[in-house]
Amino acid sequence: MSRGYLIRRLLAIILVLAIVTLAVFAITTILPGNAAIMILGEYATPDAVAALERQLHLDQPWYMQYLSWVAGILHGDFGTSLRLSQPVTQVVGEAFLNSAMLALTALAAVIIVAIPLGVLAALKRGTVIDLAIGLFSYLGTALPEFVTATLLLVFLAAPNVGPFPAGGFVAPWEDLAGFAAHVILPAATLGLILLAHVSRQVRSEMSEVLASDYVRAARLKGLSERRVIWRHTLPNSLAPAVAVISLDIGYLLGGIIVVEEIFAWPGLGRVLMYALENRDLPVIQAVTLLLAAIYALSNLVSDIIIAKLDPRVRYA
Amino acid sequence: MRRFLSSPSAVVGTTLLVLVLFAALFGPLIAPYDPQEFHPLARLQGPSASYWLGTDQFGRDLLSRILSGAPATIAFGVFSTTIGVVVGSLIGVIAGVSSGWVDSTIMRILDGLLAVPDLLFTLLIVTVLGGGMEHALLAVAVAFTPGMARIARSAVLSVRTRDYVRAAVARGESGLYIVGREVLPNALSPIVVEATIRVSFAIMIGATLGFLGLGAQPPSTEWGLMVSEARQFMFRNPWCVAIPGLSIATAALGFNLFGDALRDALDPRRSH
Amino acid sequence: MTKFMLTRRNVVMGLAATALVPGLDLQDALAAATPKPGGTLRISHSTRIATLNVLNCSGPAEYPAVDMLYSGLTRMGPDNKPMADLAQRWEASADAKTFTFHLREGITFHDGSPCTADDVVATYQAILSPDIPAAARSVLNMIDKIEAVDPTTVKITLASPFADLPISTAHPNARILSKAALAGPREKLDTTVNGTGPFKLETYDSARMVRLVKNENYFIKGKPYLDAVELYLFPDLAAESANFLNGAMDVMLTVQQADFQRIAASSGIKAQRIPSGRFVNITMRQDQKPFDDVRVRKALAMSIDRPTLVDIVLEGLGRPAYDNLLSPEFQYAIQTPEIPYDPASAKKLLAEAGYPDGIKIKLVASNRPAIRAQVAVAVKEMAKAAGFDIDVETMSHDTYLANIWMKGQFYMGYWGMQATEDATFNLLLTSNASYEDTGWKNKEFDQLVSDARQTTDTEKRRDLYAKAQELMLRDTPYIVPIFEDVLTASGKSVEDWTTAPLSGYFYVENVWLNKA
Repeated sequence: MSRGYLIRRLLAIILVLAIVTLAVFAITTILPGNAAIMILGEYATPDAVAALERQLHLDQPWYMQYLSWVAGILHGDFGTSLRLSQPVTQVVGEAFLNSAMLALTALAAVIIVAIPLGVLAALKRGTVIDLAIGLFSYLGTALPEFVTATLLLVFLAAPNVGPFPAGGFVAPWEDLAGFAAHVILPAATLGLILLAHVSRQVRSEMSEVLASDYVRAARLKGLSERRVIWRHTLPNSLAPAVAVISLDIGYLLGGIIVVEEIFAWPGLGRVLMYALENRDLPVIQAVTLLLAAIYALSNLVSDIIIAKLDPRVRYA
Repeated sequence: MRRFLSSPSAVVGTTLLVLVLFAALFGPLIAPYDPQEFHPLARLQGPSASYWLGTDQFGRDLLSRILSGAPATIAFGVFSTTIGVVVGSLIGVIAGVSSGWVDSTIMRILDGLLAVPDLLFTLLIVTVLGGGMEHALLAVAVAFTPGMARIARSAVLSVRTRDYVRAAVARGESGLYIVGREVLPNALSPIVVEATIRVSFAIMIGATLGFLGLGAQPPSTEWGLMVSEARQFMFRNPWCVAIPGLSIATAALGFNLFGDALRDALDPRRSH
Repeated sequence: MTKFMLTRRNVVMGLAATALVPGLDLQDALAAATPKPGGTLRISHSTRIATLNVLNCSGPAEYPAVDMLYSGLTRMGPDNKPMADLAQRWEASADAKTFTFHLREGITFHDGSPCTADDVVATYQAILSPDIPAAARSVLNMIDKIEAVDPTTVKITLASPFADLPISTAHPNARILSKAALAGPREKLDTTVNGTGPFKLETYDSARMVRLVKNENYFIKGKPYLDAVELYLFPDLAAESANFLNGAMDVMLTVQQADFQRIAASSGIKAQRIPSGRFVNITMRQDQKPFDDVRVRKALAMSIDRPTLVDIVLEGLGRPAYDNLLSPEFQYAIQTPEIPYDPASAKKLLAEAGYPDGIKIKLVASNRPAIRAQVAVAVKEMAKAAGFDIDVETMSHDTYLANIWMKGQFYMGYWGMQATEDATFNLLLTSNASYEDTGWKNKEFDQLVSDARQTTDTEKRRDLYAKAQELMLRDTPYIVPIFEDVLTASGKSVEDWTTAPLSGYFYVENVWLNKA
């Protein structure tokens, strides 16, 4: 893992972000229809559309719009949302914070639940417990988020039935208990798929390590079973789990789009969907940029962690 | 084959897959009703003798709609994955075989494209193209391409140094012959395994796009769209959400289990 | 049918009588209980409040927000008649060309500055300026001159006589802004408010919640009763209804037809259905085949089972329509003859028109709101028997607006109820209507509508509008299959929540919470 490699990876990320934004920008502006038409909707008259296009600078050619957008970014100015007339940094910033809280809650829950489940399944391999955990994880991966979310809503948040609020958001600094109540169902929906991935990964690695000479040697040395598992097996099984978790961040970033829509969570996914529906280009660009950057960086970090944990992996 | 079927997940996976593929091939033929036909007097009913799985908000027979939607839903998964796999594998094989600057350029670009999460990537492409089933299919294929290319490349790299390839090179065979006859067949299994599992992702992404209003459009009987149209009515007839939801899960589970079992069978090292 | 409609009308009128008619200062004489001041009303809605710019907002949840924040010269009551708002009274000249509006004394904006005739003039000039996107321009474009006679008197001179001007001035997008706000940067109107309405803006977070607080200086003394109103966004309808039913929300702004029975049946919930002239229409371009032939249009009209459509698409919460753009609520609406579902005759008519083998055609529907595609899919099934082979293509709303709307040959429209006959016809049907998308362009019809506009005599108007409707029904420029009821619901402790059949009027200043 040389410094040169790191710099090259980072440069590649920046290059790709530039290409992605340019492509999104060009194609969105070339297509018929624009934010002005969407804002005015069916009550638009040609006059009003033309006036609004002038006001939003949509009457300029797309490459000029792109260049001024890039120039703005270099000055730290991401522009103004066409639809909401608010600075993009404000619209996206708040949403990012909300999404991050949701995603991190889901991730933490997954780590707390999935790793013990995986360990349990590996230790009880071939038993009913293993089978049950396996079935549960398979089901988790096979249900799309919108189905899971709907089921949770019907069974855990229906009026007079469920103990949980059916969507909505309370900021944790206003009311921590309220935040916790509201975050449970969306985080559970997001977590279910990850739970399956991570627990299966831990189970499979753990089984492999348990069968290895190294563990056999530890057992022959007469170490207690508990010590064999917690000190020798588990740490060696975790590296691949780290890799899976970092890859799953990509899942999370996609998953929030559906989950936030259903549970009325005011996050990035909602902002993105709304911006896409309304051709709100500055917002689309900022969200794409942000999500792609998070994903690319988390991949890079996971590569670094894996290289550190597993000396066999080498990066030129 | 017998070894393959000895694992329970392979048996379950194969059974589900056969079921789903049967529905996809013959579903529209065996559907008891016209899937679009209204029965205004039998709206939102539970399962009964005349409507085995119940009816939706227009009184359309759910069983017929599921059966007629199977080809669209499954074909979406299979075709989008196939396109992604073929294009991705070609790119990956080219990168793996050529090495040098071609390889590193391709890999840099792929690394970059992989920086955009699947669903986000698909969403962007679909919005840009304007929604609809064909565009969604294309979008999923495009989104799958970089990942498949990466897998194909590493499969090729691992085969490239094997003895039989070296032998072919020593015999003086042409590059095309070596790739076509020696490298590709031997690099195929990880690609096939990955592709099978990806079909289940593709089906789920397709359904999610249908749910978000960007994939299949009414009056299509694509399963994701069926869930999203029926959600309003779920308190009055839970069946019209549960049935297509379970169908999606069955299809995804079938491909997923089958793919996993295939991997275990082809790669004994990982068969735990 | 007729009898049924009459009962419905009685229901509306009954509703208007028992509910408080805002602005008429009934002083709660009719209300059973004395309103209690205080409390916060939580309203749920499912579409974003993307802007608070009163000049061009059009979202279903933006309307109640600007209705609470701003006031107009006049306002439409639940009875569909103009009532006093900023203008206490008004008079028209005999030729209906000059109108004088008298403002209330001592009205102030939320920032404390006085609201005078100058602000009214500035607002109307902005609405009429082609450089400013303003949704009310199409109903006010007959204004020739507007001037401030003194701080509380506004004189409006029209280019052509128009007796219904006080209805146009009640347009939800014609509410009065301050002159200073109009002179400032226009983007600020999207996120900040300085109005004269019963509530002031406190928090604007379009992704989650908009909070309004009581305007202590509202021009009707003693109102509003509520301390605050919070508008919460729930993009998912299932989540919205669950939150309403478990008491997290007090009012559900719009109830879906699918959920209405369930919600109405829940204990303590007051669910309301208000018959409205909101309709779905099928646009058929008449300057090209096959809809150039009136027989084809008539055949399609006969191929739609309208009562069944009301049952399956609206869950019975609406009324069948028979191609008249005017619902029975309109003053001059005629008795529209029913069109029975008769695919056999339709098939014959198609053969006469030269299509013995039927017609294969694509019907386009936007995916927002879902009712467009639902009606399209139902029409496809119903018209099959008559020989129409309709292929429904649903597309995203942005693609629809850009490629199909006002351009396509055969597509689904969806319109809210307009305040007047004149507004309805000039929206869609006259040759120079704002959204003339059929190519019908009938000179005789244009003349009738224009004559009716300039007439102040009620009977003469009735006659002219009747002739115009007969002409429309003779040619079937549009197919209008259903009128949709407006559905809303309020929780146990909410008193006097009402909405009007016209979108845009909510009278929240009368609402109070009956909490022990």
